[in-house]
Amino acid sequence: MTLGKDKTIGDKGHSMTIRSFDLLQPRSLQEAVELLHKHGDDSRAIAGGTTLVILMKQRALHYSYLVDLHSIPGLADIKTESDGVRIGALATHRLVETSPLIRQAFPAVSRAFGHIGNVRVRQTASVGGNLAHADYRLDPPPALLALNAEVSVFGLQGARTVPIKKFFQGMYETALGPGEILVDVKIPFTPENSRAVYLRYTALAANDWPCLGVAAFLARQNGRCKELRVALGGVAATPVLIGGLEFANDQTLDPGVINRLLELVDQQISPFSDLRGSEWYKRRMARLFVQKALKQLNNGTA
Amino acid sequence: MKRDITLRVNGREENLHIDDADTLLDALRDGLKLWSVREGCGVGACGTCTVLMDGKPVSSCFLLAVRARGHEITTLEGLGDGHVLHSIQQAFVEERALQCAYCTPGFVLSVKALLDENPEPSDDEIREYLSGNLCRCAGYADILRAVRSAQEKRRRAQTA
Repeated sequence: MTLGKDKTIGDKGHSMTIRSFDLLQPRSLQEAVELLHKHGDDSRAIAGGTTLVILMKQRALHYSYLVDLHSIPGLADIKTESDGVRIGALATHRLVETSPLIRQAFPAVSRAFGHIGNVRVRQTASVGGNLAHADYRLDPPPALLALNAEVSVFGLQGARTVPIKKFFQGMYETALGPGEILVDVKIPFTPENSRAVYLRYTALAANDWPCLGVAAFLARQNGRCKELRVALGGVAATPVLIGGLEFANDQTLDPGVINRLLELVDQQISPFSDLRGSEWYKRRMARLFVQKALKQLNNGTA
Repeated sequence: MKRDITLRVNGREENLHIDDADTLLDALRDGLKLWSVREGCGVGACGTCTVLMDGKPVSSCFLLAVRARGHEITTLEGLGDGHVLHSIQQAFVEERALQCAYCTPGFVLSVKALLDENPEPSDDEIREYLSGNLCRCAGYADILRAVRSAQEKRRRAQTA
């Protein structure tokens, strides 16, 4: 039986077909990066495919070679290490969302992955694909930024690590070099007296892209702030880790400190107007949701 | 690239000659003539192309057919035995949880996955789990009742 890929679009009774390509199935990371190097711009690594396959269906993208990372063993594990948890690039969103380990150690990460799309998308989409796609609105990046995660990548030059705050470099642009593959993301354990929260706001349907997302991390000492980190998604070309929050150290998060934080947020985001809200609206919502996140951290309800 | 693959669909080994670019939807619908698998939005948002892969719901419209190798695929055709409806299908009929029925196979399979994973879901958990299945006839209230009815049938069958 042949599915007639040589026929014209529409012959199959439904509207969209993908132009033919070769799916290459390497057995190791080394073999995968060699294939990506050999085929250059005509190839792309594919993980869950939730974005790539759809864009190829819509004929927005085409690659003659897709390098399937699923044939490489061991890339989908969630592992505890002495100082943190390592999530393999091929772990699905659903696996992270429902992992008892992640839920217990990093509930904000579990929530961020659990917000994406719907249960089927989360069942297929991979952690590595999510980060490497680098859409500015995705939910996990702010949570991972607030938790100081680190990304491991592998290329022809070997392995290297990139702090997540250096990973997102522009809209759909990352620190991954040509032919490099994201291998895993590591989240360091947080100190005892600390909490993180992720809140997302959708202006349209509940499983739409978020209008914006806010992640915040607070470590305390003697009832005062020891370290505060705040990151936002959807409000600039990349997710934004707010800089300059050291001023809050040794302070209580009183209205004065929160106002200073909101000023910094307003200065460092650059939202653009789209169907999920005008720039003015997104700036207002960013203030509101940063306040909500801080309130949850302060009350210990996160 | 064309290749021969074997997929396990509804408990049977099926040999298919496919292109790497074929989606699982292409293989099930055009290859195996399983007409319950329907393309709606084509981008994984509507749920009409839902099938179960190892018991978990996936959108067959953007999953490459090659990726389904080595996994157990279930379509609506794999639920009933051709004569007697599956209890979830029966619940949908009794609660009139369908109108045009285009979305129904996807809903029934999603409900199966939900109840297998979480036999006693709360209303919110049902809504959250099914939020990726769209019914444009807006039969949602009836569908929620059908889930409760299916849950009840299942409980009775297990305690009987």
